Amino acid sequence: MNAAPAQTLGSWRRILGSLILAVLLEQLPWTGWALALRPDFVLVGVLFWALHQPARIGFATAFFLGLLADFQDGVVFGQHAIAYVIGVYLVLFLRLRLLQFDPLRQAAQLFPIFLAVQLVVLLAGWLAVNPPAGLAMLLPVLSSTLLWYLVAGFLRLWHGKGLQDRA
Amino acid sequence: MAMPDQLMFARRLGPTSRLLIWLLVGVSFIVLDTRYHTLDGLRSGFSLLLQPVRELMRAPSDVAAELTGFFTRHRLLQKERDALLAERAQVQVGASVAKALARENAELRRLLQLPARSGQQMVRAALLYQGHNWFAQRITLDQGAGAGLRGGLPVVDAWGLVGQVSRVYPGTSEVTLVSDPHQLTPVFVERTGQRGLAAGSGQNQLELRYMPSQTDIRAGDRLLTSGIDRVYPAGIPVARVTRVSRSQSSPYLRVECLPLAGLNRSHAVLVLIAAPQVIAQ
Repeated sequence: MNAAPAQTLGSWRRILGSLILAVLLEQLPWTGWALALRPDFVLVGVLFWALHQPARIGFATAFFLGLLADFQDGVVFGQHAIAYVIGVYLVLFLRLRLLQFDPLRQAAQLFPIFLAVQLVVLLAGWLAVNPPAGLAMLLPVLSSTLLWYLVAGFLRLWHGKGLQDRA
Repeated sequence: MAMPDQLMFARRLGPTSRLLIWLLVGVSFIVLDTRYHTLDGLRSGFSLLLQPVRELMRAPSDVAAELTGFFTRHRLLQKERDALLAERAQVQVGASVAKALARENAELRRLLQLPARSGQQMVRAALLYQGHNWFAQRITLDQGAGAGLRGGLPVVDAWGLVGQVSRVYPGTSEVTLVSDPHQLTPVFVERTGQRGLAAGSGQNQLELRYMPSQTDIRAGDRLLTSGIDRVYPAGIPVARVTRVSRSQSSPYLRVECLPLAGLNRSHAVLVLIAAPQVIAQ
C-alpha cells in the first residue's frame, strides 16, 4: 500500500460525489419490501470514507448526514446522528485492523458495526419517545462498581498480587 | 510506515473525546427537539432542500408507469370503460337519492334549528416519499402550506381514512398514518353505533381500545369516524375488525382491525380542508 493511489481514491470530488449519490439513492420512492431491505447507502458511504480518508470524513459529516436520515424517517432529530457518530468511532477504533482484510472479511467485520449502529438507533429512538421515569436505573452502575472494588480487593488480599499469573 | 492520513500521533483531540463531544451534541439535539420543539426550522430547511430532489427521483418510476400504461391492451381498456360506465349509472342513481336526502336533511335541520353541516374542500396530493416505519408511520405528500394545508387536517383516499397532516412545510407535508402507534382516531361501529377509540398498533394495523367484554362486536364489522373530535368529518371508513379475543387479565376485549385505506399502496390521496365548525350555543 502506498500513498499515491490513496490520494487519487480519496479526492474531494470522489468523496462528495459518492455521498451525494448515496443521498440521492435514498430519495427514490422505496416502498414495501424494497424499503424494508434497502441498505443504508449513506451510512455505508460515510463509514467507507471514514475508513479510507479519516482526515476528511469523520464525526461532523456523519452527524450531519444522520440528521438528514432523521428527517427522512420523520423521527426525533439526533437519533440517527448519534448512531452514525458511534459507527464512525467504531470504524476508527478498528481502522488499522480493517485495512488489512480482503473485501469479504472486511464486510464480515463491518457486520457487527452496522448491527451496533442499528441497535443504537433503536435505543435512542425508544429513549426519546418513552423516556424512563427517572435516572434511578443508573444507580446499580455505581453500586456494581463499588462491589467490583470490594471483590477485587478481597481476592487480592486472599491470594496475593499475582492472581492471574498463577490461575 | 507512517502515512499522512494515519491518526497515529494525533495532534488534535483523540477519537474518544471527539465521540463524547458529538454524543453530547446529539443528546442536546434530542432534548431540543422533543422538549422544546426548536428544530422545526431545520426540518423545513431539509424539506426545501430535498423536495426537488425527491420529485426528480420520482420521475423514473412515473415514466415506467406511463410506459406500461401505454402498452395496456385495447380490449382491457374497453372492458374497464364498460365497467366504469355501468358503475357511473349506479352512482348517479345514488347521487340523486343523496341529493334528495341532503335537501330533506337541510330542511329538517332548519326546523330543528341545528347548525348546517359545513361543506368540504379538497386538495389532491400524491405520495412523494416514505421513510422507514420503525418508529413513526409517516408519509410525505407533494402538497404543503402553499396549497392551504395546515397541521391536523384529515387525509383520505378512495377507500378510507389515511391519517392526519402532522407537519407542514412550504411545498410538502408529513402525514401521520392511522396505524401510527401514537395516533388515536375516534370511531363508531357501523353495525351497532357503539363508539370507541381506534389506536394504531404499528405494523400496518389498528386496535379498538377500551371495549368492555360484553360489547357486541365481531370480525367483519366496519369502523367509521364518529366525528365527535371535530377533526375528522363523521362517517369516513377507517378499518375492518379482523379478530376479537377476550383476555383473562384485562376487563376489555382485544379487537384487532385492518385499515381500509391503502396506507402503503395509495399514491393519490385527498386532504380535506374545512373551516373548523363552531357549535352554536
